[in-house]
Amino acid sequence: MQCGGACHGDASINETSGAILSLSAPDTIYLGIPTTLTLTATNLETSSSRLIGLFLLTDMTGHSDTPQDAGWEILSDANGGSVNYIEHTLASGQNETTLSWVLRASSLGSTSFYAAIHHGGESSSPFFGSTVSGLEVSVQPVPENLPRLAADFTPPTQRLLNSPTELVIETEYTETLQFEWMAEDGLIQNSIVNTSGDDRWTTSLPAALQPTSIQWRVILEGEGPEQTSPWFTLTAESASWEVSENAVYLQAFALLFMTAGIVISLQTRLTASTSISKYDEAPAILEQHTTSPVVETSTAATVAPLPAEGLPNGWTEQQWEWYGHDYLAGKYGGGLE
Amino acid sequence: MISSETFHVVTTELVVGAFSVAGLSFTLCLLVHLGVLKQASWKTMFDHVAHFTLAFGLVATPFAILSGLSSSPGEGMNSPILVNKMFLSMTGFGFALGCLLTRWRLGSKVWSTTKSSALHGASGLAACGSMLLTASAGGTFARGESLLDIFHLPYEQVLLFPLLVSFTALLLGVTMLAIGWRRMTVSSIH
Repeated sequence: MQCGGACHGDASINETSGAILSLSAPDTIYLGIPTTLTLTATNLETSSSRLIGLFLLTDMTGHSDTPQDAGWEILSDANGGSVNYIEHTLASGQNETTLSWVLRASSLGSTSFYAAIHHGGESSSPFFGSTVSGLEVSVQPVPENLPRLAADFTPPTQRLLNSPTELVIETEYTETLQFEWMAEDGLIQNSIVNTSGDDRWTTSLPAALQPTSIQWRVILEGEGPEQTSPWFTLTAESASWEVSENAVYLQAFALLFMTAGIVISLQTRLTASTSISKYDEAPAILEQHTTSPVVETSTAATVAPLPAEGLPNGWTEQQWEWYGHDYLAGKYGGGLE
Repeated sequence: MISSETFHVVTTELVVGAFSVAGLSFTLCLLVHLGVLKQASWKTMFDHVAHFTLAFGLVATPFAILSGLSSSPGEGMNSPILVNKMFLSMTGFGFALGCLLTRWRLGSKVWSTTKSSALHGASGLAACGSMLLTASAGGTFARGESLLDIFHLPYEQVLLFPLLVSFTALLLGVTMLAIGWRRMTVSSIH
């Protein structure tokens, strides 16, 4: 079955990728301690977009196949998130890449990890490939007094632009802690670490001025052997835009009723003043009524008198009823000015 | 069933099409009224077309707003453009509602004087303009560009009032609507 956690098609639609995938992990993995799984992809031939999608899986049957399903927690991925699928754009001429995930096991025992790849190619069909065999990983009990990150410590994966980031790191059985971070240029730098006791350490990272990512790790010392954590990825992004939806909806309805209310009020005022002025001409209309042998309706009384030559060319009686005054005022050409 | 994105496209095309025809008809109505166009018999036709298309657009507008909210990516209003779209569409809805209600209650008398005609035509054109701006903001949000980009409209800036101001404006608007409606009823009896 050609499926990598998210089906993009089936074997009759996909073409087989020529990419060679290889997973690797440390020799010793302890329960509750973060560890790094590294994926190396070679012989990559992609479409012109040079975009590839990589999956980290624990099963190749197409369902319940994520590390989370096997009891593993993904703490960090190469894109600054914490998911098992990442997309990566290759540089021009690049045909191999190495990416990693930081995971933490929640139970003892062994797990098989697989990797899969989706990408485009010269044809319009999607290409699919996967590791030939699974990487067997065995989780061991953590030794007593081993300096380590706290079992419930979750490293942050994102921070905001233009503001320094203060990291609070929780550890166990640790007497000294050294903090290292690395920007995209690969230069490793140290930061000053303060402690408030109780295995809590704080350090500060300089503000990022543009969307970028750094990697950081800690070196832990205590009674047990020295430990170095995996590299965690921390990406800097601009703050998401937020607004009170209640305020927006209230203002939107206020705008609706205000505009409708203003239009109706002004229109009524202007039109009402017209009807009043017409009402003021009632004596003249009444006089016209008394001289006429035919009793007309009140609507007919406001109709402009017809010119001697009759209705203008192309006019109906209904149009004259409404616009006769305008015609006499000369607004349509040929009026009686 | 179609997706909310497709439904939003359908409803917005109906709204924009209807309001565009209404705007054109209101313009021609004003031109006839001002004597620029000499065919008086057109005025009734443009008057009817303007108000019927405006009513059709008004009916389709709530569907466009609701489908737009459900089809926007992410949760809720996470972009200033979406907020401005909501404000513009509701303002256009208000202009169209006021325009149609006055035409319904006052009849052809809305075209009886120059001032009244100018106000009625302007409210119809304002409704049309608001809806076209909403569509332009939608294009900027979905595709990053719009025909109205030449005006460099500040879609990214949101003028959001405090709740108290909005609530007061809402009460004021409802009051004006009620008083105007009452006056229209009295005026129509006269």
